[in-house]
Amino acid sequence: MRLKQTLREQGLETRRVDYEDRTEYVSDFGSRDGVSVDVVGDTAIVVAGEEQHDVELPADARVFLNNDVLTIEVNK
Amino acid sequence: MRLTVKPLKQKDAGRGLAAVDRQAMEEMDLENGDYILIEGEGGRAVARVWPGYPEDSGRGVVRIDGQLRQETGTGIDDGVTVEKADVQPAKSLTVALPQNLRVRGNVAPMIQQNLSGQAVTKGQTVQISFGLGPLSSMSGQKIPLRIADSDPEGTVVVTDSTDISLSEQPAEQIAGEETEEAQTAPNVTYEDIGGLDDELEQVREMVELPMRHPELFQQLGIEPPKGVLLHGPPGTGKTLMAQAVANEIDAYFTDISGPEIMSKYYGESEEKLREVFEEAAENDPAVIFIDELDSIAPKRGETSGDVERRVVAQLLSLMDGLEDRGQVIVIGATNRVDALDPALRRGGRFDREIEVGVPDKDGRKEILQVHTRGMPLTDDIDLDMYADNTHGFVGADIEQLAKEAAMNALRRVRPELDLEEDEIDAETLEQLRVTETDFKQAMKGIEPSALREVFVEVPDVTWDQVGGLADTKERLRETIQWPLEYPEVFEQMDMEAAKGVLLYGPPGTGKTLLAKAIANEAQSNFISIKGPELLNKYVGESEKGVREVFEKARSNAPTVVFFDEIDSIATERGQNVGDSGVGERVVSQLLTELDGLEDLEDVVVIATTNRPDLIDTALLRPGRLDRHVHVPVPDQEARRKIFEVHTREKPLAEDVDLDDIAARTEGYVGADIEAVCREASMAASREFINSVSPEDVGDSVGNVLVTSEHFNTALDEVGPSVTEETRERYSEIEDEFDTTEPATSETEVGRTFH
Repeated sequence: MRLKQTLREQGLETRRVDYEDRTEYVSDFGSRDGVSVDVVGDTAIVVAGEEQHDVELPADARVFLNNDVLTIEVNK
Repeated sequence: MRLTVKPLKQKDAGRGLAAVDRQAMEEMDLENGDYILIEGEGGRAVARVWPGYPEDSGRGVVRIDGQLRQETGTGIDDGVTVEKADVQPAKSLTVALPQNLRVRGNVAPMIQQNLSGQAVTKGQTVQISFGLGPLSSMSGQKIPLRIADSDPEGTVVVTDSTDISLSEQPAEQIAGEETEEAQTAPNVTYEDIGGLDDELEQVREMVELPMRHPELFQQLGIEPPKGVLLHGPPGTGKTLMAQAVANEIDAYFTDISGPEIMSKYYGESEEKLREVFEEAAENDPAVIFIDELDSIAPKRGETSGDVERRVVAQLLSLMDGLEDRGQVIVIGATNRVDALDPALRRGGRFDREIEVGVPDKDGRKEILQVHTRGMPLTDDIDLDMYADNTHGFVGADIEQLAKEAAMNALRRVRPELDLEEDEIDAETLEQLRVTETDFKQAMKGIEPSALREVFVEVPDVTWDQVGGLADTKERLRETIQWPLEYPEVFEQMDMEAAKGVLLYGPPGTGKTLLAKAIANEAQSNFISIKGPELLNKYVGESEKGVREVFEKARSNAPTVVFFDEIDSIATERGQNVGDSGVGERVVSQLLTELDGLEDLEDVVVIATTNRPDLIDTALLRPGRLDRHVHVPVPDQEARRKIFEVHTREKPLAEDVDLDDIAARTEGYVGADIEAVCREASMAASREFINSVSPEDVGDSVGNVLVTSEHFNTALDEVGPSVTEETRERYSEIEDEFDTTEPATSETEVGRTFH
């Protein structure tokens, strides 16, 4: 749950989806413009318009951005 | 791939998302956020993939919101084809605004912001909200835009680099791929209804199923249901639900509002009613919605008018008469279900009655989500907190809350607006945001509508202001606050919360004050009943008053019902003969309400009295007022604490020793102590005002101190109101209550103590 908390502190409303082998945190930026994500070390920097969120990631997390839908994948 | 359509969760609606069941996602090799093309019977739509809900996994389900369902021409439980879409980013896009839109300035950035990430096709109409969300009558006013042209052709997705330009032709003049049909059904979708999932499911089962698949009922050899009656408190969403059903099932929809069909000519009211049913039968499948059913179908035996009786009879025969009315379903809505003619409430007419109740916490959150969907909220707003704090709010109240919050936001920008101008600057619109303070402000002004009649302003008394009584406070907190705060503990221990508390003790010891503090601290709705106000000169009305109080309390739970001076309405039965037994009937009503067949869930009764020996013993047994809390005459330590509370804000001289005063005030109760403090300050003021000329009062008032001498004067004037005798009497009563059988010593009790 720690990741979800960090995400919430950053003002990112996410949905947690559990799979057998992994957990995904999904957030939709649909109505905002210019979303991009960069991973530097173990921090994901999400830029949405003028907002910037720095999310500290657990060790084996993967981050995707597809058509403004942000997915953070964490192995179980 | 073929998938079944289901409704989307309220919070995800309105963003062009499609929650695809995860197994299907894997099979189609879809990632979160991919574009998919959804093809239904009535059209195609593009949506972005959103991971499916856990309960859907493997069921072949795609959840889309009402807007997408409308675009694809499908309803819930229909099949659609879903495939991965190949969508190009748009280089440029031309949009046409509707003719009547009056916005000045460059709206292109706003449109871009709204459309960003959405997939559009030339000729398509897209609804965007301009941030002023709930200020219109519907939640989230949407402006229909038409896509006039795009580069490249075909389905494109709007990105940041898309160049958006406005068409000079208004939207109405550009012919789309399909001309929109004139819509008779209201534009409400299932996602616009929050917190009524179970009820909605029931209505759909009754209405949608027989219309879509009548063969199911033929196979079973039963007649499909003909009518649903929705009932519940005002503002809970009965009409909205009927509107949504009518919209989603795509049937002919017509509604009857009671007064409309009434006519002054003999027989014409019935004729109008027949016309509506005939028209519906011609256009079947059809839904007839009768709002406020009680106005046209009251009990025949009780109405005075001839017309009403005939209208009811007509309605009865139309709904289940000799003639088959075909596939016409009647939805009735009323908030006075008991006022309806009983003949209407049987199978074949209204087959099912669905209660639409006051929403619980989760329901309230969903409703809040619905009403704030189109609203530009700042990030610090925690909807969960508002869902927690809005006990007893119905949908309409929550809508009001959202609306009021948005109005507050508007008030902030009002000074910047130039009302003389025809149009409002697009930039101003863009800056409009609803903040946490706006919501807090709005919360203050709104109280649950069902409680308005009996609502009292929750007193501003905290535990701090109650001096002493530590034991009593703790017991009260256990009884009232714990069940609400730690329901899981009560569940685990298989305990039921106490139904009621009786506070008794000599006059002036702080019983009412304690109740006030409880009302403030318990985070519940609070109903206060002053005993005698329940009594009414008409036979039966007094009991009805009691019934109504408890009914209100039930529908607005959690509630604390507070009876001050309960001995006035709950005296021992079988003693009074003077008042034709009203008192006794009220007591009986109270008894059944507290522990009758109907459950009192999350309703706690607090009663106070200083004559517990006069109260009917049946009221005091476990299961009714099961906790008896003695509010005793304060001892020295408690008195010292009460003095502290009352002198907290007073300017005391240094020679005042509260310990000493407390020791000298044996037999004083809280009210006496308050009087002592007031007298002491009064003595100080008297001295001060007499010694200073009126002009100097303002300057030297800061120097006045209440001294020990003043307290001595006050102590001489105010005597203890409790004598040794009274105190003994109360401790006797306490002993009596502590034994298992309370009313064993049936001694003759005098009516007064002194």
